[in-house]
Amino acid sequence: MISLSDIPTKSGFPLTPAMCVFLVAVASAPFWLEAVGLYSYLGIEVAIWILYAMGFNLLFGYAGLHSFGHGAYIGIGAYAFGLFQQNVAVSLWGGLLAAILAATLAGALVATFVAHRRGIYFALMTIAFGQVFWFCAIKLRWLTGGEDGLLGIPRPDMVLGPLRVSLQDNFSLYWFAAGVLGLAVLGMSRLVNAPFGRVLQAIRQNEMRARFAGYDVWRMKWLVFTLSAAIAGLAGGIFAMAQESAYPDIMSLHQSGTIVMMVLVGGGLVSFWGPVLGVLIYFVARDVIGGVTETWLLWFGLMFVVMVMLRPEGAAGLAHVIRSRLARPKAAAPAERSA
Amino acid sequence: MYDLIPHIVNGLTLGLLFALIALGFTLIVGVMEVINLAHGAFFALGAYFAVAVIGGSWFSGTEFGAWWLGLPLATRYVVALIFGPICAAIAGMVLELCLRPTYGKAPLYGLLLTFGAALVIEELIRVFWGTGEQSLTIPQTINGAFLLGGLIFSKYKFFAAAFAVLAIFLVWLLLERTPYGAIIKAGSHDSEMVRALGYDLSKLRLAVFAFGACLAGLAGITMAPIWGLRPHIGIDVVIPAFLIIVIGGVGSFWGAVAAAMLVGLSVGISGAYAPAWAMLSMYILLILVVGVRARGLLGRKSALEN
Amino acid sequence: MSETKISRRGLLTGTTALVGGVAAFSGPWKHNRAYAQAADKPVKIGITSDASGQYANSGASDRRGMMMAIDEANAKGGVLGRKIEYIHLDTETAAATGSRVAERMITREECGFLVGAVSSGVANAISQVAQRYGVIYLNTNSSSPTESGKNCHRVKFVWDGNGTNFAKAAVKNSIDAYGKKWMLLTNDYGWGHDTAASTKKLLATYGGEVTDEILIPQGTRDFSAALLKIQQANPDVVAAAVGGDDQVAMRQQVAQLGMGEKTAWINNQQDWPDVYGLPVDNLFGVFGTTWYYGLDLPGVKEFVARYQAAYPETVMRVPGNVFYNGYMATRELLAAIERAGTTNNIAVIKQLEGLKMPAESRMQHFDAWIDPDTHQVQQTIYLATANTKAGDDKDNMFKILAQSKPDDVKDDDAAAACKLESYEDTPSFDA
Repeated sequence: MISLSDIPTKSGFPLTPAMCVFLVAVASAPFWLEAVGLYSYLGIEVAIWILYAMGFNLLFGYAGLHSFGHGAYIGIGAYAFGLFQQNVAVSLWGGLLAAILAATLAGALVATFVAHRRGIYFALMTIAFGQVFWFCAIKLRWLTGGEDGLLGIPRPDMVLGPLRVSLQDNFSLYWFAAGVLGLAVLGMSRLVNAPFGRVLQAIRQNEMRARFAGYDVWRMKWLVFTLSAAIAGLAGGIFAMAQESAYPDIMSLHQSGTIVMMVLVGGGLVSFWGPVLGVLIYFVARDVIGGVTETWLLWFGLMFVVMVMLRPEGAAGLAHVIRSRLARPKAAAPAERSA
Repeated sequence: MYDLIPHIVNGLTLGLLFALIALGFTLIVGVMEVINLAHGAFFALGAYFAVAVIGGSWFSGTEFGAWWLGLPLATRYVVALIFGPICAAIAGMVLELCLRPTYGKAPLYGLLLTFGAALVIEELIRVFWGTGEQSLTIPQTINGAFLLGGLIFSKYKFFAAAFAVLAIFLVWLLLERTPYGAIIKAGSHDSEMVRALGYDLSKLRLAVFAFGACLAGLAGITMAPIWGLRPHIGIDVVIPAFLIIVIGGVGSFWGAVAAAMLVGLSVGISGAYAPAWAMLSMYILLILVVGVRARGLLGRKSALEN
Repeated sequence: MSETKISRRGLLTGTTALVGGVAAFSGPWKHNRAYAQAADKPVKIGITSDASGQYANSGASDRRGMMMAIDEANAKGGVLGRKIEYIHLDTETAAATGSRVAERMITREECGFLVGAVSSGVANAISQVAQRYGVIYLNTNSSSPTESGKNCHRVKFVWDGNGTNFAKAAVKNSIDAYGKKWMLLTNDYGWGHDTAASTKKLLATYGGEVTDEILIPQGTRDFSAALLKIQQANPDVVAAAVGGDDQVAMRQQVAQLGMGEKTAWINNQQDWPDVYGLPVDNLFGVFGTTWYYGLDLPGVKEFVARYQAAYPETVMRVPGNVFYNGYMATRELLAAIERAGTTNNIAVIKQLEGLKMPAESRMQHFDAWIDPDTHQVQQTIYLATANTKAGDDKDNMFKILAQSKPDDVKDDDAAAACKLESYEDTPSFDA
């Protein structure tokens, strides 16, 4: 069995084979999505959720900080984007900046309260703060539109120097989301393979030891929480464009639990790419099983339970095991234990 | 101030009911250090089985069914009050068996597994009982209302609160005045000790889980006539229970009871001024209490902190 | 139930295409919105009703109405000689799901028409997507005034009476009958707020007074705080705009306290699936509806018989207003396509705008029509109360008190707030 401590770190050139496969898949999606029975809007949603999940995994998988209230920040991003369009100016970059800023601010504030907590108490405080944000989103009707959500959010044109591209149709919006995702993933991959990423893993394995090793643990935890909230905010901004609205539902505890499930199912605890697998599994399951039976969540839940019992490392962990078995048929088991 | 009294009374009854919900939860957390997110699902299961027993829907049309429905409602209600919690307890035992591979690992896994289990039970309820609202019929003697100081109060609410007090008292008796309680408490402090005393730890865990789920089922039957019954009630219920445990301090019996009363009162009193915001008050209470005292009101050190 | 399952054909051909190495060369997502128009290609309708969440019950009833209309049309040879197919996806009473389901139905399932909604949040989310593609969307059962007001769309048609219609039918009469001191219980989301706003406006017009308004969050089960406040304030009338499962819980608790008789209760609109099967003492107060199976009008009995033949297994033994709206909307849509002689969306929209529907055909007291400026059906509004003299007939729960002409209860504010998109700004295609 793989311990939780071996998300492998790589240094140097970010274009690993996995990264190349990922980028090619994202870039080519519009050409095969429909052929495999999916549709454009789903592509946008998946791209947004991968962005959200990978940012979340910095906190959840790398730093081992189990936030169960992360939906708040993607929601805040979405509302900030919409409010910016409606009250300040119709501008893509301005809106996204507002989304990131608002989520960063909220994340930084909460991080100040929770960064000195560990374990289940950390999780609890994030739930409580998440619920407070969710509640406010529902109750502040004059600002957020209440339970109906903030409606009629435009999809502003993308202006890049002299270039002006409309994001009205799902096709161009997908390219935009995919571009943002690609850049963000490259950035995150640099980050987790830099010393910062190693410190995060050190904190997860043993906070005390990391502190004695001279790291400012509190600051690191605060930083990763805020960063992960900022990425969620960015995802939220794009989500608001995709839906042309912002709804409070995504901020609920239920949805915050869903992102945890996705990251775990995919194997975010053992792999940088875990969240990608998790989001794909979840969305494809929802769309394919959900089209056949209304009880798709039953099957997904059962799969999840069995997985936690037998293979808590998730899909990525499973792939890892299979690969190492194939490579070293005999030596596999002991080698893993020492990893 | 006089206007506030009914709201305080309302808050106190609510607090007692919250305490009833939180009892089983705190027992399981205390002994097993598992955050059982399926607690709400057991709550729902207890109530749904009770509805099935009272309504006799499983054997309608048969001779037994006709005889059964011919019995007075009070009799059927009492049978349901026993049968529902037993079903919840069986489900609890199954879940405990599933949980075994996660013992000794990070507490996160127990929490995740029970989260998944809650999802599965909720969906199963949808499959067997449908998505619509169900109602649990209660005997006429505890139904209806009475007048007090010019205001109408619901009889059932007081019955439920009294029932909660009784349940809390009995659990306290069990924990403090019987040898079983001593073992359970020993288990919650030190599982090595239990083993050293010659008790089978896995049997103890099974029993504690069954008992916790049983209490959840009982709470479900008590609450269903007030809150109604629908498949996702488990999630609605587990959140307050969770908050109460944390405010009270993980594993502390009286901490949970005190926290439940506190939460009930804050919801009740804030309901007098801003009903729409009442439910938010419990989160603010949590942030205040836990912000000041990391382990809650009466909590002690627990492995869950790591 | 014979719902068509999603065809796996798309998936299969897709995989073979990939294997053969000819992955979609027509360019990514360049949907040619003029779908192949062979005469044998079925007309596809997407049913977007809720199957879970607060309005799961009403959603099921809504869906049965649409399915009966479609089955009846198919039995007569379909529309324009083409068979009518439908698929249903659960919108979960959640707006975000509504957006996604609408996207999927339009782009992947190639539905030419979307029908169904109970929650205004979901209806609005679907209509935003539908407008972008130009797909006609029938909002069957969401009665928020904003649906035909500020959130109206060229492609959307609203078939239920709205909160203002019902308030107009009830407010003046109730001030005269019960008194001027009113308290409002408002479900804390769009429909609740819009309805409360129109009630307040009418109260101001007719000399009533709002003493307090209590907001009820969606998903509320414990109404004790709100009921305590009502007891303390002791108003003449309590006007409730509380829907779905919330309302079921509220009715139970009010009945348990015996508060139903003490104060006059007015419930803006009473959807049949929300009360069917409840004890009659839970059905206190006066409430609005657009149709009742006990109306003494020609055709009603046959309609009920058809319902019972089509759904012998259903717990709900008689059709209610939600079923009625789903059925009527779908039937009129199919008739409009037939009259237009084409499935072109703009042509069908023009057929529906201003459409006059005789009272007999809709089994109501007065003629109805679709307002071309707001796209809302203007129809008879009934006021009803509990039928305490039904005896053994457990289905006959309502007693109809009065009916109002569509003109008398017209929602003028909606017309002022509604700006429909122009025909040119609405993408055109043949379904």
